[in-house]
Amino acid sequence: MFGNLDPKSAVPLYEQIAVRLKAAVATGELRAGDSLPSVRQLAGKLRINPATVVQAYRGLEEQGFVELRQGAGTFVRSVGSETRSRERVAQARRLARQMLADAARFGLSRQELREAIRHELDGGGA
Amino acid sequence: MSTAIEVKGLHYRASPEFAIEDLTLTVPAGALYGFLGPNGCGKTTTIRLLLGLLRRDAGRVRLLGHAVPEELPAALARTGVIPDRPHLHRYLTIAESLAFHRAFYPEWDAGWASELLGEFRLLPHQRLARLSKGEQAKLMMLLALCQRPELLVLDEPMDGLDPVVRRDVLSALLDYVSSRGATVFVSSHLVHELERFCDWIGVMDRGRLVVELPMGDFRSGNKRIRLAGAAALEPLEAPFTLLARERDAGAVETWVVRGWRPEMTGWFERDGVALREVVDLDLEDGFVELLRAFRARES
Repeated sequence: MFGNLDPKSAVPLYEQIAVRLKAAVATGELRAGDSLPSVRQLAGKLRINPATVVQAYRGLEEQGFVELRQGAGTFVRSVGSETRSRERVAQARRLARQMLADAARFGLSRQELREAIRHELDGGGA
Repeated sequence: MSTAIEVKGLHYRASPEFAIEDLTLTVPAGALYGFLGPNGCGKTTTIRLLLGLLRRDAGRVRLLGHAVPEELPAALARTGVIPDRPHLHRYLTIAESLAFHRAFYPEWDAGWASELLGEFRLLPHQRLARLSKGEQAKLMMLLALCQRPELLVLDEPMDGLDPVVRRDVLSALLDYVSSRGATVFVSSHLVHELERFCDWIGVMDRGRLVVELPMGDFRSGNKRIRLAGAAALEPLEAPFTLLARERDAGAVETWVVRGWRPEMTGWFERDGVALREVVDLDLEDGFVELLRAFRARES
């Protein structure tokens, strides 16, 4: 789940962790009541700053994805289908934003990008 | 106490050719501080000065609030150290060197030590002279951690190790930091490893400090900008500092800038200039560009 974290990315590490966990909740890979690794375990395993893990977990708690139970750990909360589908939309938008940024880098216009997406959605081909 | 390591105006002449000059470092308590610099820039000398292993010519050093060298024993009792070269006796076994080491540290965590021996696959009866480089590095980390220090001073603890050993050693360190909240001062050439966990960065070159700042500021202030049609643009009155400028293919240029803020994109809004991309400089690139600019300024 946490493979390919990229410390060089402009997206901060805590957000990369949070995004992956939210995706796992949205797809059902993580279910209500599942426990997340402890801060200590995850920081050690990923070789990252413990504060980064805390920041990721705190953000997820604020957004209602997990709850921190004193002394017991961090657990996935039951998340409504509405939140799950909202998260899927957020994921799709993140991908689109990334694509727009890449397009800008190559100097492609939005029109060119739009046409390319339509083309691929229609099955691609020459 | 909010400062774990405080160095002020440190001077030390190592040889006619090399000196540490007017070095000031501030390592906040709880920081994971990455200490970077090219080979021979004075990192190891600085660490030796911090630990009272060399006598400074001028300046002031405090470790965990204790004056160095006057209160050195009190400081070292609370400090775990991995020196640049193993300092252990080659003819002792691992078990014997653990017994020797723990005698100096009342907080020694024997339970965790035996756990780590297992995790690191170190055999207690093995003699230190027979250990591989990786096994030595693991033993050094084990000794430094199991004394349960408040401060860890680590001189290239994972450089030259294979990726598996590097992971083991770093995981143990970060595991400890998570549970104990200790301060870590670590020098290394493995910039991409430091980038994963450090929240403070200090860069040295030629015996002097180039820059010291929180990692977040480093990331947000140093950018690589790609521009089209900017050949005639003069950065003289720019609100940022231009560190490097490079022609890419065609009309596209890459600028490396320092002191960047998002609202500065407006500066590029002029005839024919297109701002293609603004990306964070990763630590390695930022480090290289900062050194280049520092050296250009010096000479």
